This record gives sequence, C-alpha cells and structure tokens, in this order.
Amino acid sequence: MFSEQAAPTAQGLLAPPSAEPPTFPRVPVSGYSDCSQPFQLGERSFSRQYAHIYAVRLAGMRPGLERRARSRWGSDIALRKLSELQAGEKCCVVGTLFKAMQLQPSILQEISEEHNLVPQPPLPKYIQPSDELILEDELQRIKLEGAIDVQRLVTGTILAVYGAEQDDGRFLVEDHCFADLPPPLPWNGPSSDRFVLLASGLGLGSVSGEALLSTQLLVDVVTGQLGAEGEQSCAAHITRVILAGNLLSQNTQSRDTINKAKYLTKKTQAASVEAVKMLDEILLQLCISVPVDVMPGEFDPTNYTLPQQPLHRCMLPLASAYATLRLVTNPYQANLDGVRFLGTSGQNISDIFKYSSMDDYLEILEWTLLAGHISPTAPDTLGCYPFYKSDPFILTECPHVYFCGNAPHFQSKLLQGKEGQRVLLVTVPDFSATQTACLVNLRDLTCQPITFSGFGADSED
Amino acid sequence: VTYKWLSFTLGVHVNQAKQMLYDYVERKRKENSGAQLHVTYLVAGNLLQNGHVCHKVAVVREDKLEAMKSKLSTIASVHVYSIQKALLKDSSPLYNTDYDIVKTNLQHCSKFSAIRCAAAVPRTPPDAPRAPASAQSPQRQRDPDAAGAVNGHGPPAAKAPPPQHKGIMGMFAAKAAAKHQDAHKEAKAEAKEAPGVSAASSKPPTKNNIMNNFFGKAAMNKLKVSSVPEQPKEEKEVVKPSVAVAEPESSPNTVAEKPGKKTESARIQQKDKKSKTKRADRSDDEEERDPENVKRKRKRIKQLQSDSSDEEDVPRSPTPEEERAPSPPPVPALKTELEPASTEGSAGGRKRKRKRVLKSKMFIDEEEGCMGKTG
Repeated sequence: MFSEQAAPTAQGLLAPPSAEPPTFPRVPVSGYSDCSQPFQLGERSFSRQYAHIYAVRLAGMRPGLERRARSRWGSDIALRKLSELQAGEKCCVVGTLFKAMQLQPSILQEISEEHNLVPQPPLPKYIQPSDELILEDELQRIKLEGAIDVQRLVTGTILAVYGAEQDDGRFLVEDHCFADLPPPLPWNGPSSDRFVLLASGLGLGSVSGEALLSTQLLVDVVTGQLGAEGEQSCAAHITRVILAGNLLSQNTQSRDTINKAKYLTKKTQAASVEAVKMLDEILLQLCISVPVDVMPGEFDPTNYTLPQQPLHRCMLPLASAYATLRLVTNPYQANLDGVRFLGTSGQNISDIFKYSSMDDYLEILEWTLLAGHISPTAPDTLGCYPFYKSDPFILTECPHVYFCGNAPHFQSKLLQGKEGQRVLLVTVPDFSATQTACLVNLRDLTCQPITFSGFGADSED
Repeated sequence: VTYKWLSFTLGVHVNQAKQMLYDYVERKRKENSGAQLHVTYLVAGNLLQNGHVCHKVAVVREDKLEAMKSKLSTIASVHVYSIQKALLKDSSPLYNTDYDIVKTNLQHCSKFSAIRCAAAVPRTPPDAPRAPASAQSPQRQRDPDAAGAVNGHGPPAAKAPPPQHKGIMGMFAAKAAAKHQDAHKEAKAEAKEAPGVSAASSKPPTKNNIMNNFFGKAAMNKLKVSSVPEQPKEEKEVVKPSVAVAEPESSPNTVAEKPGKKTESARIQQKDKKSKTKRADRSDDEEERDPENVKRKRKRIKQLQSDSSDEEDVPRSPTPEEERAPSPPPVPALKTELEPASTEGSAGGRKRKRKRVLKSKMFIDEEEGCMGKTG
C-alpha cells in the first residue's frame, strides 16, 4: 500500500540537496474511544472460587446459544438441562465443555512428593488420543461421544449439542454448534487511507541485538525519518501504533537471583530494568510522533492473570510525559476512527494451541470468534481473575479487526459473517523473531506485513 | 556517518541529510580521490513473499543494492543510509551510531523528521515544576483535544498578556517595527520552537483587535515591564483570543499553578534574550510613564465602570480575570486567581494598586522570578 503511492518519488533522495524539504502533518486521530473498561479491574479480591466464572459464562451465553440451536435444528426441538434428560430422547443441551486430558499439568501431581514424580516438563501440546469430552451445566455433567471432534475442542467452551442420551449414560452427539459470530457493529470507517500499525513481541532486553536495528528501522519509518518523500507521506497516514505485548523478552524473566544468596545479588539489577529503560526510549521516539497503545504481554511487568492490567506509568517516565502514549489492558478493545479493534497479546491463542489439535494460529483465532469467547481456557489452564458478576471475555459485539499478538508468522483473513459481519483476523508475528509488523488499512480492512532487515556478515539479501 | 547522525549534528531535515550524503558520495566519486567510500542504502518496496505482498524495508550494502532492487516488485524508496570508510561487516555500528545520537537528543528526536504530529504534546504535570520538560515541547501545532487542558489555562494567562503586548506595540511601533516583522517572519518560516521575543511579538497583532473591546488605550501602556516575561509565557500557549472569552473556565487552582509555572519556566529560559529588551523596555517605560499617568488615571475610571457593567452582564470567571488583567499588571495569573473578588472592588483602589504594583513589578523582573506581593 505504501509502494504504489510512493513509487514515483522513490529515487528522489538520490540527488543533491534541494530546497526546504516538506514536512507532513500526521493524520489526526478523529475518533478514538477506549472500550476496554470491562477488562480493567478495580479492586481485586481473590477470595472467590473460580466456579462462579463458569456459571456466569454459561448464563451469559445460554440465550444466544439457544437461539442458534433453534435456528439450526428447528424451532421445535427440545432444550433440556442435563438433569431433565431422558434416555433416548433427542434433545439439545447447552453446557460447558470440559476436556479430561491425561497430560494436563496438574498441581496435584507436582505436590505428590511421596511418589517421587518429576514435575512434568512443558510440552508443546498436551493432547492425547485418550482425551475425553464432558459436558457440564449448572448441576450435572455427562460424557460426550459421537460426531464431535475431541481433539479440537478445549475446556471452557460453551456449546450446544444435539443428540440423545444413551443407556450407558453417555450422550451421543449428532451435531453441535457454537455461538457463532456475535451481532455486527455498524461500519463507520474512514473514507481515506488510514493505517494502524500492529506490532508485538519487540523482545527488548534479550541477549541478541539483531532485532534492535529492525526495531529502530520500524520507529524510523513510523516517525517519518526513513524513506523517500513518498514513503514519508504515506507513513504520515499511520494514525496509531498498537504494541501487542511482549515488549520485553523472555530473557528478562530469569529469576535466578531469588535462588542465589543475598550478598551475591546485592549489586545486580533485574534484567528487566534495563529493558524497560530501552523500551522507554523507543516509546518516547514513537510518542513524539504518533499515538501509541501499549498492551502488556506474557513477559511484561504486570500481573500474570488475564485480563492483564496496563503497565504502570512510572515505569516509562520519559514517554508517559506525552499524551499520545496510552497504556492499555490485555485484551484490548477500542474504537479507532469508527473501526472496532479487539485483540490480545496472544496468551489465549497459544494456550488453546497447547490443548487443541488446531495448529494454525489464524484458525484458532477464527475459532475463538466463532465460539463467541476470547479465551475459553481461562481459568482452567490460563490464569484469570475470578470474575463472578459477568465474564468480560464473552464476545457480545463483533469487532471489525480482531488480532492476536506474538504469533509465529503473519497471517490475515477477512471473515464474512452471515449477518453481514466483516472481520479482519490478523495474527501479528513476533517482531524479535520475524522482524515483521502489520499495517492495517482502516478504509478497506486490508492488512499488509512490513518487514525490516539490516545486513549481517553472511546474509545475502 | 548515518543520515540521522548528520541530520542531528547539522540540524537539518532528514531528507536534506540524505541528499547531502548522496551529493557527497557523487562528488567524491567523481573526484576519484582514491579514498574508498562504502555506502549503504535503504531500500523499501513490495515483495511477494509467502503468497502475499509484503512491504520490505531493508538496509543494504551498495553491492547488494541492485540485487535487492530487482527482488522487489515495486520500489517505494531508495536513499543513502550511511557512508563509511571501512566496509561494514554487519549493521550494528549503524545501529550504535543512531542509538547514540538519538539518546543525546531524546526530547527532540522528531524535530527533523518529516512528520509532525499535532497531538503529541507533553502532558501538563499536575504539580512539581517540570518546567524544562514542558517548555521544550518541539511541536508548535496543537491538536484541540490534546491541548484542551492547555487551552483552559491559556485564556486566563492570555488575557493578562494582551494588554501588555499592546503596550509593546505602542511603544516600539516606531523603533522596532522592522525588527518585529523580521522576527515574525522568521518564526513562521521555521516552524520549530522559536522561543524568544520575536515569536511572542507576532502574537500581539492578533490580540490587539480583540482586546480592544475590553481595554481602552489606558490599559495598553501599563505593563511593558512585565510584558517581556509574559511574552515567553504567552508564546508557549497557543492562544486563540476569540476562543479565550468563550472558553469554559477551568478550576482556578490549576489555572493558577500552571500559568505561574509557565511564567517561571519561560522566564528562566528566556533570561538572556529578555535582558536586553527588558532594559530597553524599562527605560522607555519610565520615561513615558509619568506623562501617561495622568491620562491613564482618567481613562481608568471610565473603563472601570464599563468593566464592572460588563461584569454584571456576564458573571463568569474569565471576565473578572480580564478586568484584573489591566489593573494588576502582569501579575502572573497566580495573582489574578487569588484575588477575584478584591479587584472587582473600588476603582480608586485599583488606580492606587496599579501604580504600586507597577513599581513592584520592576522588582519582580529584576529578581527574576520572585513573586510580587501586592496586587
């Protein structure tokens, strides 16, 4: 998208100095509103049990699912609760899915020292052929079998199954359905080209510095220092930069200092301190020129449980002096110029990846949208705050752009829904590994990856 | 030498720096002076990768330039990234140079960039003087919503300065008209932060018309002394006088603090530049004040009456501030806030107050930042 407009003046700067070069004003943000209030936690109390969140989730999604079930299998089907089931009767049940996995890391196994068990090492995937699906509702649970893909589904999904109860107490499933795409939001997109840059996984503080030049190039392109005039004027159309998590690298997470004796670690700082300082400088360069939204990620200094609260302002003293810096929650939802963005830093998708046979991040992303829930595996395998009033991860409105950060590659897809929803699904790649960020064009909901590279000793670009 | 390093060192636009590098390379090569120069280029363009069109931005060595250009389907930009004597093994020295130069210029790293963001203004600190930080904002254009807070503070402070500016114009019209015009043009042309009397004096012309409604000639000649310190303060706030009147007032406390702070900071910053003009100011002031005094007295009373009637019509805090502005000289808005009630009082008291304050104002300027007492 840059290139077409920029091509004419591409070689313009291969010339002797000209007169006063043009400066382009940044396209102003016309409509921005932050919609991530449900993800912001006020006072947090962990004294509640997690069962409430499932109850709330089921209660919240039940009406929608019942509607979907009726529209799919006929409006006269019987909707039953598990306690009302009669053997052999075809009916539809709405409930929460639970997948019993043998390999699932369990805290109880770790504690059982008398068995002398070595704690299970983290595996990329925990699925096994012997996993079983169980449907639970408010009062009972029942094993599922039949036309349902055990490997693919994960715990915590709310779905409706259609079938009959067998004599042996299992439920034979003939068909199942999810909540499907939520109702669409009106489209108020801009009429001219506006871009939003999505990047994630900057990975500062890592030992290797290869990505640093690429990061600097990214900042330069966005702030308009790099590129010929055509490209700079295109870069002026970038209205926002969203950094989706993992600003610090995994290396900053080392907690060896806790194990060492105090006198050895007195003078050492946590690696994250240096990394945050670097982050501050980079953010300052960006903030002077463009509004930035910073989402925390898995390795960032904020709470571990979802929804992650924004990074604290005092960690970024230089950059937070500017009003263009916004520290936001993970997941993050906002209206940019009439386009609704919703996204996470990738923890939910990677968690589903571990417990499901789905391998493609984009596929998982689409599936969460169809299932109507951002992160069904929370709180089972992903840390989550014990909500009890309502589950903020339920998708009630269909966003226009749905993204997840820290994916292994860049992928994007425009999904069309039955009720006229148009969603752009984007998996934002990990910048420290791929040096790629994404540019989303708000006008027509297209996305383009943008790669940066320097040159190494043996690279033959 | 990277283009960014050059741009910061020479203080030129980044595009010019790139062009300078190119020019240098061309000339050196033509001269064939024997010194081998190695150049790296930045190439950007579209590339077909994994089935979708990917925009690639890369720094490449000169020998790989053509290869890269042929790989790209459309080229978006090519320019010189850096020049060095030795052949670089990898791009880390480039990164280090850029990193260092940006680090030393962190606050204005966008000064020479091609894109200006109107919304990027430093947040006003709620307390504690972060005067240097806020005063150094590189951007001169302000986005309405970002500067919303600033605007709220703008009006009260602006009302204080305008009468003084008119004073300046009145006094200096003959002498310094030329100087101001030049400075005015300069300020416009640069579009960078141009602190100083010159930039500020470009504001008075705009103010004059609007403030005329509220203040008669009498108000004009008052506070030239403090006009100078006020200029920088006022210059920092992009004031829209017409908007000022209609602006919803912000809470007096915050307003009081901020303009006060800005005044201080502005004063501190502008010390050197002010000194000369200030001296000129003061000498002029003293000469002219006595003959004007009599006139002022008379006009003052009349104006007070009109002001008070205005006040009744529109009982809002901006207007009391406006009235206060002529009477208490430049009192940094701090004072104006502290005495909303007192100044609305007696006309006679005002006259007296004003004379007193005028004199004490002189002390304020001399002492550079010590807040005056009365008013």
